[in-house]
Amino acid sequence: MFNAKISEKIAFVLLGLSALAVVGFVIIILGYIIFNGYSAINIAFLTEMPRLMMTEGGIYPAIVGTIYLIIGSMIIALPMGIMAAIYLNEYAGESRTTWIIEMAINNLAGTPSVVFGLFGLALFVKYFGFGSSLLSSSLTLALLILPVIIRSTEEALITVPKEYRESSLALGVSKWQTIRHVVLPAAIPGIITGSVLSIGRVAGETAPILFTGVAYFLPRLPDSIYSQFMALPYHLFVLATAGTNIEKTRPIQYGTALVLLLIVLGLNLVAVLIRRHYRNKLKI
Amino acid sequence: MTEAVQNVSQPQIQVENLNLWYGEKQALKNVSMQIPKNSVTALIGPSGCGKSTFIRCLNRMNDLIKDCRIEGRVLTEGKDIYGPDIDVVDLRKKVGMVFQKPNPFPMSIYDNVAYGPRIHGAHRKDLNGIVEEALHSAAIWNEISDRLKSPALSLSGGQQQRLCIARTLAVKPKIILFDEPTSALDPISTSRIEDLIINLKKDYTIVIVTHNMQQAARISDYTGFFLMGELIEFGQTRQIFQNPREKSTEDYITGRFG
Repeated sequence: MFNAKISEKIAFVLLGLSALAVVGFVIIILGYIIFNGYSAINIAFLTEMPRLMMTEGGIYPAIVGTIYLIIGSMIIALPMGIMAAIYLNEYAGESRTTWIIEMAINNLAGTPSVVFGLFGLALFVKYFGFGSSLLSSSLTLALLILPVIIRSTEEALITVPKEYRESSLALGVSKWQTIRHVVLPAAIPGIITGSVLSIGRVAGETAPILFTGVAYFLPRLPDSIYSQFMALPYHLFVLATAGTNIEKTRPIQYGTALVLLLIVLGLNLVAVLIRRHYRNKLKI
Repeated sequence: MTEAVQNVSQPQIQVENLNLWYGEKQALKNVSMQIPKNSVTALIGPSGCGKSTFIRCLNRMNDLIKDCRIEGRVLTEGKDIYGPDIDVVDLRKKVGMVFQKPNPFPMSIYDNVAYGPRIHGAHRKDLNGIVEEALHSAAIWNEISDRLKSPALSLSGGQQQRLCIARTLAVKPKIILFDEPTSALDPISTSRIEDLIINLKKDYTIVIVTHNMQQAARISDYTGFFLMGELIEFGQTRQIFQNPREKSTEDYITGRFG
C-alpha cells in the first residue's frame, strides 16, 4: 500500500515535470524570438527589398518566395496525395503490391530532407531541365510532404464509420459517388490537419530548396515558375552564417525568424478554424 | 415448404439452393425460399444462425466482404440477381435496406432523404415533393416538418431510424430489407416502427430479420426459422408459431434455447 502510494507520487511528479519542461522550452524559444524580433518588424521590413548587401531594408522577397513555395507544393501534393490515399484505402484492397506501396510511403516519410534535395537536383533541375527554379523546388517539397498527406488522409478515411458507406451503397449509390458525397466530406477535418502539418514543413525546410532553386540574394521577385527565389529559412541561414555583417544584421535575423514563425502559426490557426467549421457542420 | 407458400402465384423473391462461405466456413447451407409480394416475411433464429447473412444476400451487400463466396440463385422478377448482366448498383435501388443501428448521414434531415434521389438524377423541382412524401410514408413528417434543415443526428434514436426508412423509401424500391431495425430502440419507438412496417406492406415487399419473436409474431405474414446456416422451417407465421413442424422450431419459439 505504502509503496504504491509513494510510486504514484514519484510518477506524478516526474510526469508533471516533463510536461512542464516541454512547455517551458517552447515558451522560452518563442519568448526569445519574439523579444528579439518584434522591434525589427514594421511595414517597411515586410514590404521592402533588402538593401546594402542585405544589412538593411526588408525581407519582402523572402516572404513572397516562401508563400509561393507553399502554394506551389500544395497544388502538386494535395490532389496527388489525397487521390493516392483514396485509392489505397478504398480500392486497392490487401495485396502484395499494396503492401509494397505502403512500405515505400513509410520509407519516403523517414527519408532525410537533404536526400530529397539531392534527388530534386538530379531529377527536376538536371534531368527534366527545369533548372534551379521555383518549379523544381515546389516539386521537391511536394515529394517531401506527399507521405504526410497520404498518411493523414488514409487515417481520416479509416475513421469514417463503415455504416455511412454501407447505407449509401444500400441506396443504390455507386462506390465513387459514396466516397465523393459521404466519405470525403466526413474525412475533411482530418485531411486538413495533415495538410497543415505539411505546410509547416514546406515553410521551414531549407535543404530541399537549397539544391533546387533558392537564391542567396535577389533584388526582385520571381517572375515565373522558372525563376529563382528567396525564402525565409534560407535567408535566415544566410544572414546568420554567411552575411557580410552578421552582428549588424542580428535584428533582421530575429525579425525573419519571427515572421516565419508567424506565418506557420497563422496557417495552423486558419486550419484549426476550418476544421472546427467542418466539425460543427458534421456534428449536431 | 408449406402449401400456403407454394400457392402464391408469383413470389417477389425466389431463392434457390443458396450456399455461402466466409473463407472456409459455410454460413448458409442450401437455403431455398419463396418470398411473396406485398407481405412481411420475418427471419428468426439464434445469434449466428445465418439470418443476417441471408438477408444481406438479397441486395448483395455480402459483395463487400472479402473471401465471401456464394452459390445458388436469387430471382426477383424472374432474373437472377447474381447473374452476369446484373448491375449491383441498380439492384440496390430496387432492394432497399434499413440497418440495425440508426445511421443517418451527418447532414441535415432534408439532405439525408434527398441524398439518394439527388444522386439518381431527380429534378431539383421534384425533390421537395419526394422528400415530403418519403417522410410522410415513414410516419415522421409531423414531428420534423418544421426543422428539415436541422442536423439528422440531433433526432432521437427512434426518429433517426424512421428517417433512415424515409431515406430508403425516397429511392422508391420495390423490396425493403430490415436487419434488426428495432434492436437498438426503446419499446415506444419499436412499436412505432412495427406499425410503420405493417403499413408499408401495401406498397412494398418486406423482409425483416429480428431477434424478437414477439415482433415476428406481431408483424409478419410469413416466418422463416434459421439454425446453423440452414432454413429449418418456413411458412405462414400463424402456423409456425402455433403448430411448428420441426422440434427445433418449437424449442426456439418456446424459449428453450436461443
